[in-house]
Parts: sequence; structure tokens; C-alpha cells
Amino acid sequence: MTDEMIMEAVKSGNLQQASLLFERYHKRIYNFLARMTVSKVLAEDLTQNVFLRMIKYRTSYREGSKFQSWIYQIARNVFSDHYQMHKNRVAGFVDVEKVGGTIADEEESMVQDEREKILHRSMAMLTEEQRELLVLTRFQHLKYEEVAEMMDTTVANIKVKIHRAIQKLREHYFQLEQI
Amino acid sequence: MEREKLESMLIDYIDGTLNEKECREVEAELERSEIARALHDQLKEVMVKMGSAPQLEPGEALRRGFDHFLSQEIARKPESRSVKMVPMFYRIAAGIVILMVTGVAAYWIRRDLQNQDRLAKMERELEKYKKQMMGMLNNEFSPSQRMQGVSVAYEIDKPDDEIVNALVSTLNNDPNTNVRLAALDALGQFAKEKQVRKELIKSLSTQKDPVVQIALIQLMVKMKEKGVVKQLERMTKDTKTMKAVRDEAYSGIFKLS
Repeated sequence: MTDEMIMEAVKSGNLQQASLLFERYHKRIYNFLARMTVSKVLAEDLTQNVFLRMIKYRTSYREGSKFQSWIYQIARNVFSDHYQMHKNRVAGFVDVEKVGGTIADEEESMVQDEREKILHRSMAMLTEEQRELLVLTRFQHLKYEEVAEMMDTTVANIKVKIHRAIQKLREHYFQLEQI
Repeated sequence: MEREKLESMLIDYIDGTLNEKECREVEAELERSEIARALHDQLKEVMVKMGSAPQLEPGEALRRGFDHFLSQEIARKPESRSVKMVPMFYRIAAGIVILMVTGVAAYWIRRDLQNQDRLAKMERELEKYKKQMMGMLNNEFSPSQRMQGVSVAYEIDKPDDEIVNALVSTLNNDPNTNVRLAALDALGQFAKEKQVRKELIKSLSTQKDPVVQIALIQLMVKMKEKGVVKQLERMTKDTKTMKAVRDEAYSGIFKLS
């Protein structure tokens, strides 16, 4: 049974089927969000929100559209909403990340290998768009076509952006490696 | 070959997406140039590293949270169809229809009745926000949901006791620092309300989280709440209080005195 068929069933009221989609996608969405946020705890929380939105807004799923693009779009929105809310509501008071040092601690616990740590620090130095493109295509192995569809742009445009992102990543990686 | 073009071709070469002619072109460049070889090796290293990064495993809480939500959603499906899952378009359309009906009815209803109507509508609005907020604040599995719950407070002009109590309880008891800070921020919007001021001052003496303590002190200064100077003095003398908090308390005393 394809993802799209299951989602159609969920949309028409067979909510139990949503478990199947959770089974198929929760690890991928979790990994996407963990790489984007560099926090396992936050990624779990946001992943949960992605699947809650999938159920809540099931009627907005368009028949014939690819489920994978749709769920990733929800994940991107959840990430973006969190980022905006964090910036608007909290940043005005105290820089929580600096006080708690939680993100740095999380990053240390996320990866054990020293060179992989360098890779993640280099990733963190990219723009959000570059990081997202690399997470989707290199860590998650999505095709350029799939990402282009998700971001509503051309494959050529995505390819240029990904190449630039890899070039930047290479620069950061080997700069950090020398420190 | 220009460097950016070379680097781009090398990426495709490593990906194995070049045609035969382009492959030969890149291989000739690799043969000829040491810079090209170094670039190739560096690109390959980062690309292989990304491609072979291990998959992270989410905790069991994620599945539990989802199952819990799904079973709740299945249990309340009929209700949700009629009330909560109505698309925004229909809600707006329904709102417009209600407004039009109200407009026609206005010809036949006296002015004081109109006022009563408006008041009732405002109360309904408040009830709606309250319901929305409480629902999200009670989601023990998701700090983000609770943050969203807190943010509903921004839609409310004048909170009632129940809303203030919920925000105060979140400020004092939520296990997540960000949620507590968001609650504090939301309460800050209502700082002109006597009860809110009272609760914020009370919270200063009970808060144990340094991040929230600092934010609270900053809010007190913003509110020009001179009544907390003594409490701040106590904090500066308490050796158990974190140094950053004591510093903020000193700064608060200085600004409020």
C-alpha cells in the first residue's frame, strides 16, 4: 500500500492508518529535525508536532500529491515556526542557549567520532537553507528532483545551491580541522 | 579550469553523474593539477562523511506521545468534525454570516440589547481562547505545544482569573525553562493588572531556576516595581543564589533605587 493511499484513508476518517505513516516516516523526520536543530530532545518534540499536524490538518492533504513532499513540508514548517517563536518570544529576555549551554552539550552527545563532530560544527556554520539542502540530499539521500518539488523550484537551481553548500562546508570543515 | 567550475565538476564526478567526456576532462585536470587533487580529496571526505553519518534513534517517548494523541483523536472524532476541524475558510464564512445576521437583526433590537450581544460575543471569544490555551498547556508530552498554548495569551486583551492562574502556574511549575520563560513573557503583557503584578512579585521569591530568576528581575525593572528591592537585597545575600542572578539582582536594586 503506497503512502498516498494510506494518507487518503486517513483523510477520509480512517485515523488508525496514521500509525503506518508514523512507522514509515518518524525516524526520517526525527533525523531531519535532529540535524537541523542539533538537539535530540528538541527534535523529538518537533517530530511529535509534525505527526500531530499530519492528523490535525489531514483534510489539507491534496489527492494525488506526493506524501513524502507533504510530510517534509510540514516538518519544515514546524521547524520554522519553532525558530520564529523562539526568536520572538524568548530571545527578548535571556539567551537561554548561552546560559544553559544545552545545545553544545547535546551536540557532544549526538556524535562520538571526533571528525563527525567537526562535520556537525561545519554544518552549523552554514546558512539555514544550505544546511537544510545538505541534510535532505546528503544525510537523508533524497533526490534533487524530490527536493526541487518540495521547495517548488527547478532541479538546476537546487543543484547549484547544493554545490555551493558543499563547497562552503568543505571550507569550514578543513578550517576547523586545523584548529 | 576556473576553481568554482572545477569544484562543481568534482562534486558531480564524486557523485558519478558526469558523462564520459566530462569524466575524461576532470581526470585530465586531476592528472595535471595538484590543487585539483587536493580539492577532490577534501570534497570526497566531506561528502562521504555526510553520506555515511549514522542514523539517530528517537526515544520511546515519541511513539508513546503519538499513540496517546492518536487514541485521543480517534475517541473524539465526531466532536472534532463538527467543532474543531472545521476549515478556516468555513469558520470565516460562518463568522461573516453571523455578522450579517446580526446586522439585519440590529434593525429590530434595541441599543442596549446590541451591547449585551457584543459583550456575550467577547465572552465567547475569551472562552474560545481559554479552551484553546488550556488544551495545549495540558499537553505534558510536548513543551512546544505548551509554548503555543502560552502564546494564545497574546490574542487576549484582558485576561480573566483562570487565564492568569494558568500562566502563573506554568511560570512556577512547568518542567521546561523555555515554556516558563514564555509564560513570563505573556504575563509581562498584562503587567498593568494588579493580580498579575502580585503574582509576579510572589514568583520572584519562589523561583529556583536562574534563567527565569534573571528574566523576572529584568521584568521587575521594566515595570519599575520598587516594591521588590528588599527581595532583591535578600537574593544578593543568599549564598545559594547563583552569581549571575546575584549580579542581576544588584543591577536591579541599582536601577530601582
